[in-house]
Amino acid sequence: MVIRASAGIAGTLGAQDVPVVQMKEISKRFGTVQANSNVSLQLFPGEVHAVLGENGAGKTTLMNILSGMYHPDAGTIEINGAPVTIASPSDALEQGIGTVYQHFTLVPNLSVIENVILGMKTRFVLDLSGAERRLLEMLGDFGLTASPRTEVRHLSLGERQRVEIIKVLFRGSRVLLLDEPTSVLTPVEVEGLFKILLRLKAEGVAVVLITHKLEEALEVSDRVSILRQGRKVGELLPDDIAASGRAATKKLIVELMFGGTAGGEQPNADSQHQSADGIQTTATGDAADSGRTLLELRGVTALDSRGAKAVRDISLQLKAGEILGIAGVDGNGQKELGEVIAGQRHVTSGSVSIAGQEITNKGVSAAAKAGAGYVTDDRLGEGAVPGASVAENAVLKTISRRPFSKGGFWLDRPAIEAHAQSLIDEFNVKTPDTSTRLTLLSGGNIQKLLLARELATDPQVLVCNKPTNGLDLKTAQFVLQTLRSQADQGKAVVLISSELEEILEISDRVGVMYNGELVAIFPRAEVKIETIGHLMLSGRDRAEAFA
Amino acid sequence: MNRSVTRERIVPIASSLAAIVAAFLVGGIFLELRGKDALNAYQILFQRGLGNSDGLTETLKQMAPVLIVSGGLLIALKAGIWNIGVDGQFLIGALMAGAVGANLAGDVPQAVMIICGAVAGFAGGLAWAIVPAALAVRFGLNEIITTLMMNYVAVNVTSWLVKGPFKDPDRVAPETKQIPYELRLPFIPGTEVHIGLIIGLVVVVLVAILFRSTVPGYMLTVLGRNKRAAIHAGMPVGLLTVLALLLSGGFAGLAGANDVMGVQGVFKANWDPGYGFTAFALVYLARLNSLAIIPFAFFFSFLLIGGASMPRRADVPTYYIQILEGLMLIFFACSVYFERRLMAAWNRRRSEGSEEHAAPAPIESPAVVVGEV
Repeated sequence: MVIRASAGIAGTLGAQDVPVVQMKEISKRFGTVQANSNVSLQLFPGEVHAVLGENGAGKTTLMNILSGMYHPDAGTIEINGAPVTIASPSDALEQGIGTVYQHFTLVPNLSVIENVILGMKTRFVLDLSGAERRLLEMLGDFGLTASPRTEVRHLSLGERQRVEIIKVLFRGSRVLLLDEPTSVLTPVEVEGLFKILLRLKAEGVAVVLITHKLEEALEVSDRVSILRQGRKVGELLPDDIAASGRAATKKLIVELMFGGTAGGEQPNADSQHQSADGIQTTATGDAADSGRTLLELRGVTALDSRGAKAVRDISLQLKAGEILGIAGVDGNGQKELGEVIAGQRHVTSGSVSIAGQEITNKGVSAAAKAGAGYVTDDRLGEGAVPGASVAENAVLKTISRRPFSKGGFWLDRPAIEAHAQSLIDEFNVKTPDTSTRLTLLSGGNIQKLLLARELATDPQVLVCNKPTNGLDLKTAQFVLQTLRSQADQGKAVVLISSELEEILEISDRVGVMYNGELVAIFPRAEVKIETIGHLMLSGRDRAEAFA
Repeated sequence: MNRSVTRERIVPIASSLAAIVAAFLVGGIFLELRGKDALNAYQILFQRGLGNSDGLTETLKQMAPVLIVSGGLLIALKAGIWNIGVDGQFLIGALMAGAVGANLAGDVPQAVMIICGAVAGFAGGLAWAIVPAALAVRFGLNEIITTLMMNYVAVNVTSWLVKGPFKDPDRVAPETKQIPYELRLPFIPGTEVHIGLIIGLVVVVLVAILFRSTVPGYMLTVLGRNKRAAIHAGMPVGLLTVLALLLSGGFAGLAGANDVMGVQGVFKANWDPGYGFTAFALVYLARLNSLAIIPFAFFFSFLLIGGASMPRRADVPTYYIQILEGLMLIFFACSVYFERRLMAAWNRRRSEGSEEHAAPAPIESPAVVVGEV
C-alpha cells in the first residue's frame, strides 16, 4: 500500500485522466486555528473521492473553500487545468461545482420545481413548463415519484436530499460536493443515495464525499483522502484499496485519522493534554466497584429536535466515584443522551434514575432535585443569558432556592452577589466584578463559571458535554482536574467529548456512541485507541476484526 | 470599570433622546414642505400640552391609561412575548367596567363600585388574553398573530354587546348606562386630575418591583433574553408565558376601566382610543426599563393632548402626532444600531487591553436589543 505525503502529490498523480479540479497547497487560518495547511486534492471525472477526518480535521473548511464560501490564505485552485478564483457560492455553481450541505437549503413551502430554479438566472416571467419537462426526467432518473409541483415539506429527508442533488445538477454541475450526506438518512435511504452516486459516476460527474463514517466511505469511494489537524496525512488510490482489501485499509485509515499506532494503548504522542500540569489520575476502576449506583439508564430511547431517533436503547449504570467517558463523533446522540440525564429531553421509552430516584420525563427541576447536574456544550446558546450579569447567570438554575430567594418569591440580591463572588474566587473566574455582562468574559471564564454554578448545587451525577471545547490548555486541565476530584469525592461523572485524549486522561470507563447506540464500554485499562477509533467511525458490527 | 458602567447607563438614554429629537426635526421638515410654520406648530403643541394648568391637567389625566397599558405591555415584551392585542384587551376591559360600574352606580358606595369596575376591567382584559396564551403554550402558535386577530374580534364583540345586551335602553345612541359624574373616579385633592394617575404610577412601580426583586420577574427576564436558557435551567416556560400574557392583558383591561370610570363615564360604540401603538413606541423608547416608563408616559401624553389642539390653532391634523411617534420608532431603530457599534468598539478596545479575548457577541433576540441595561 502506498501512502503519499501530503506535499508533492499533485505532480505524481493523474496519469490516466486530467483532474477536473485540482486544489494545490491550500492553507486557511481562522484566528489561532490553522484549519487547513498545505492541503492538495485532485478530483477526477467519474470518481467518488471520500475526504475523511475527525471533527475539526479541516474537511468542511476545505470544501467551503472549493464551494466559494471561504477564500484560501494560500494555494491555488485549477479547473480543467486552468487556474481560477472562486469568489462566492454562486460563482462556484457557475464554474460547475455544486454543493449539497449537511443542513438542507430547500424552502419547505415551495414546490420542487420552484426550489430547483430558485436563484437561477431567469427572466422576469418564469418558464416553469420548460423546466418542468427536464425536471420530470431527472426526478424519474433519481427514483423520485413526487411531482415537480409537490411542496418540499411533504418530502422525506432522503427525498429532499435528492432534490438538493438534482438542484445542483440541473445547473450543469460536473463536480458534486456532499457534506456528511448520510447523517440524516435511514439505512435504506443511504443505499439509495449510493446507487445515485454510482450512476453519477458513470455519467462522469466527480463526486466528493465528506464523511467520518469509514464503512460508508469505503463502500462507494474510489479514492480516499485523510485529513488530520488540518493536514492531509494520506491518500489511498483506487489500486491501493483494491490490492489490500477492506480490513487492512480500514485499519490503516483509523491509524491515519487518529494518529495512533496499531496496538498502542496510550494517546498519541503529540496530544496536548499529555503534557503540561500533569494530572494525577486515580482512575484505577477499583474504587468504583465499591460505590453505590448513582445513575441508571434502562433501555432509553429518545428523539432529537428534528424528531429523528438520536438515542437508541441505551442501558448503563454509573457508580459513585466513577467517571464514564462517552466518546463518539459529533452528532451520534451524545448530546441527546446528556440532555436525557439532565431531564431536558423526553425519552420515548426506557427509564432514568438518579441516586435511586426515578426521574424519567419529569423535567429538569425534578432531575436537578434528584441530584443531576448538566454542563451544556452550548454555553451561550442555552447555558447562560449572554446579556445578563455574571451574578444573574450564577444563579440561573437555583434562583428559587434559598438563600437566593425568600419563599421562592423575593430575590435576595446581596446573597446572589455574594454567591457569585464566591464562585468567582473559588474557580478563579476572570471578571471585573459580578455585575459585568457575561458576554464580556472569555470562553474559558464562562466555562469555569458554568462549571462552578453546577458544582455549587452539589450534584450526585454530573454530566459535562465537551467541557474543554475552545479552552486554552491550562483552563482545560483545570476543568478536567475538577471533574476528577468530583469523582474522587464520591460523585458520578459523565464526560461527553469528541476528544479521545481527554476522555482517556480522566475516565474510569470509556463508552463509545455510534448512531445513537452505546456500542461498547471498556474499563480504562483495556482501552485500545484503535478499537475506540474504529467503533466511533463504524459502530459495533464492524469492530470485531479489531476486538 | 465605573466609567464603563456609567457609559452603559447613559448611552441608552442618550440614544432614545436622540431619536425623539430627530423625529421632531424631520417631522418639522415635512411641515415646512407642506407650507406650515413648523416652529409655530411646535410652540402650540408645547403650550397646549404643558404651558398652562389646563393643559397640564389634561396631560396628567391622559397619563393614567398610558401608564397602565405600558406597564402591562412591558411585562410581556420583557418576557419576549409580543402582545399586539392590548387594544382589544383594553376595549373588553372598558366595556366590562362600563357595564358593571354603571349598573352598580347608586346602589352601592362609590368605592365599592370603583373597585368592582376595576376588577371587572382587569378580568375582562385578562380573559381576552387567555385564548392566545393557551394557543401559544399548548400548540406553539405565534402570539403576534393570535393577539392581533383577537383585536378585530374585540372591536366587533364590544360593538355588538353595546348595541345589544349592554345598551342603555333609555338612549338612542348605542352606549352603556352613564356613570353619574359625581360617582366617577375622585380627584386627587387640590387638583382636577382623577386618581387614575396614582393607579397608573402604582402599576408601574409594581411592575418595577416585579422585575427588580422577585423570582417570577427574574424568570420572565431570562425567558425574554434567552428562552433556551430558561428551558435549560428548568424554568416553567409555559406558565411564565401565560403569566406574562394574562398580566399584560389584565392591565390593558384595567386601563380601559380607568378611561370609562374616570373620563368617559360610559362605553360608547366605535370608541377606540388605540393606545396600543403609543404604548409600543413608549416601552421601546424606555428601553424596557420599568421606571423610565413614567417620564416617557408624561411625554407621550403631552403629545396626545397638545396634538389634539394643533388642527384648530396651527392647521396641522391630529394624526401628525402618530407620524411623530412613527418617526421616533424609526430613528430609535437607527440609534440602537449606532449604539451597538459604539459599544462593540468600546468592548474591543477594552479586551485588547486584557490578555484574553472576549467571547464572541451572541446573536440576540429583538427584545434583547433594547434590553434594560
